[in-house]
Amino acid sequence: MEPIETQKKYQEYVDKKSPNSPILKNCFNAFWVGGLICTLGQIILSICKERGLDDASAGTVVSIILIALSAFLTGLNIFNKIGKFAGAGSLVPITGFANSIVAPSIEYKSEGYIMGVGGKMFTVAGPVLVFGISASIIVGIIYLILNTTGITLV
Amino acid sequence: MNKLGRQTIKFERPPCILETASIVGPKEAEGPLAKYFDKCLEDEFWGEKSWEKAESKIIKETVYSAIKKSNLPISAIDYCFAGDLLNQCISSSFGLRDSNFPFIGIFGACSTFVEGLGLGSIFIDGGAANNVICAASSHFCSAEKQFRFPLELGNQRPQSSQWTVTGAGSAILSSSGTRTICYTFYSW
Repeated sequence: MEPIETQKKYQEYVDKKSPNSPILKNCFNAFWVGGLICTLGQIILSICKERGLDDASAGTVVSIILIALSAFLTGLNIFNKIGKFAGAGSLVPITGFANSIVAPSIEYKSEGYIMGVGGKMFTVAGPVLVFGISASIIVGIIYLILNTTGITLV
Repeated sequence: MNKLGRQTIKFERPPCILETASIVGPKEAEGPLAKYFDKCLEDEFWGEKSWEKAESKIIKETVYSAIKKSNLPISAIDYCFAGDLLNQCISSSFGLRDSNFPFIGIFGACSTFVEGLGLGSIFIDGGAANNVICAASSHFCSAEKQFRFPLELGNQRPQSSQWTVTGAGSAILSSSGTRTICYTFYSW
């Protein structure tokens, strides 16, 4: 065997040796579980509207219910099994975000409520929040500048 | 004690492995090595309230089990070299603090155990100790918490991802022994 000298060569070697993920199966499972979660959201939305809520409040209620459901299932040790099966299907909807906050809260409870639960709650979701909010601020500033110079995008 | 080459030590008084002990978790018990372990746990908590406390208990029981098997009194242990994967080696230092033998915490991640054996051998060869106990522990759940993601997080592990062992191993090194596995060379 030739000696592995560069990091790139090592990575190629590892990629060659390690088994591939079953992409088709994963995509299929992600598709139908994700679809199911979105359908559930749509059902809640339609019920809310039927009962007389306006669009904005109905959307909020959908988020609240899905977050609560995901947090509850995380606490029962069920959500991680769904996540293992469905991958992005359960991770991308708001359920995944709720799970990423509840999971560290449970795990770090042993380190106390202030520094444990409070301090470590956002270890997984933190980067998403920091860069998500930063990106939205930058986009907002660009939008503001364009608007003041008379260019309308939307 | 002689240094040979760049990283090898030749012992003049070769240390012996007097006795060993190991305790592992439920997943390890399913594997082909199960029959070689002293104890296989059914529950990863082992009656404790946190993963870290469980790991502490595992290393403590493993060390005491090796001492018991060797028929040495606890006071005969001159030094203990032990380590684990957690911050400040908490599972081994907290697990072994009641034992009252001098504790030298080491960290070498995967190499902690052989690192302990190497240092312990040097202590014995140099005449600083007659009996040294070396131990290392890890716990899948505490390692996941410290280095990767919380267990409840719904993510997918790659097919080639590794699984940290739940368990501990210990060995008593002695300057003399009857049931002897002796070694003359140690290469870092």
